[in-house]
Amino acid sequence: MTRHTTLRLVFWATLAAFLAWDWSSSKPVDLRLEPPLIAAGSGQAAAGGHCSMPD
Amino acid sequence: MKRLPLAAVLAVFTGWLLWSVSARQAALFAVGLGLGAVLAGQRFGFTTGWRMLIEDKDASGVMGQILLLALAAALAMPLLGHYPELTAALGPPSVSLLVGAFVFGLCMQIADGCGSGTLYKAGLGIPMNAAILPLFALGSFLGSLHLGFWLDLGRAQPVGLVGQFGWERALLITLAALAAVAAAVRWYAGRAGAAAGKAPRPLVVRRWMVGAVLLALLATLNLVIAGQPWGVVYGFGLWAAKLAQASGAADLANNWFWSQPGNAARLHETVLMDVTSITNIGILGGALWVSAGKPSSARPLNGTQWAVALIAGLALGYSSRLAFGCNVGAMLSGISTGSIHGWIWVPLAFAGTIFGLRIRRHFGF
Repeated sequence: MTRHTTLRLVFWATLAAFLAWDWSSSKPVDLRLEPPLIAAGSGQAAAGGHCSMPD
Repeated sequence: MKRLPLAAVLAVFTGWLLWSVSARQAALFAVGLGLGAVLAGQRFGFTTGWRMLIEDKDASGVMGQILLLALAAALAMPLLGHYPELTAALGPPSVSLLVGAFVFGLCMQIADGCGSGTLYKAGLGIPMNAAILPLFALGSFLGSLHLGFWLDLGRAQPVGLVGQFGWERALLITLAALAAVAAAVRWYAGRAGAAAGKAPRPLVVRRWMVGAVLLALLATLNLVIAGQPWGVVYGFGLWAAKLAQASGAADLANNWFWSQPGNAARLHETVLMDVTSITNIGILGGALWVSAGKPSSARPLNGTQWAVALIAGLALGYSSRLAFGCNVGAMLSGISTGSIHGWIWVPLAFAGTIFGLRIRRHFGF
């Protein structure tokens, strides 16, 4: 295995570990409160975080 | 890994998101995969396009970006006009925007990638960008910790062209401004190229044009599904904030940014519910799929270059938070949804890029 391949594996393993930790330590997803599949036309204002919005 | 098994893994993950998180997040992950595949497949780099213009007097990359902005605006502004639940990428004109955009433009040349560029190059397996990604996240988080201080230095209310003038006039203003920028870029490339004795380069190059069309369509899909424009930086900061909170490294409950109701709520949810995070992960996956089975062409760096690149990556994250976005969140999403802050961001970041290229050359990148 080349050094480059090892680095890639470390990167993806770290990301996967972070996502697994995040999933296990965060508030469980409440599927009954699932957001609409398509926001446009749903009547529900977008509520996600965005880099352009400070608050 | 080859493309077929990798596609199967990505499909399984999409299905798991559909089953365990939400249909919207699964759809946004698929959009992210498309964004990553287009960015990596077409090598659509905002950083590269600006560098080509300044160093080679080659305007094709910038022309592709202008086409992307025009198409995205032509698609987004009517949607914003017709669906009040959709939001524009409205950042406040502020001291932090001026400083952040300049520093971001400078650092993106040293780090060889903006927000989306760092993501797709990390997905392609380029070691420098993969190493920069966690520092970008840390920098974005540190920027969010200090954002209240920076905003106290001076800020105005965000200005949105669609809200001010209606979508029709907002689109006309935006397209006219983009046409003026395209004319100025064409004039500069021709004049500066002739003065430097360079042969004229074509303004229209297939990979940039194809990339622009596909990215505009995917950015619009992101807007329609998520209800907000495509962004990159917020997700990075959230990832680092969650780690900082879990480790007790920072008291986020008393921080101006993280005590805002939406931000505070997101700290307790999985990042897989965050619209920006899920497209970021998708971009990584899409770029990985493009790179599958291909040898990497990354150039090895010496110790000094590594140190400079990593510092630039940290500053990239910090400055993007101050600037209310990177080339995606501020420039593409800002301008295409009519935010004045996007128009302020571009000249400041471009000025920073001019200095960044000098530093880049100095360290032999």
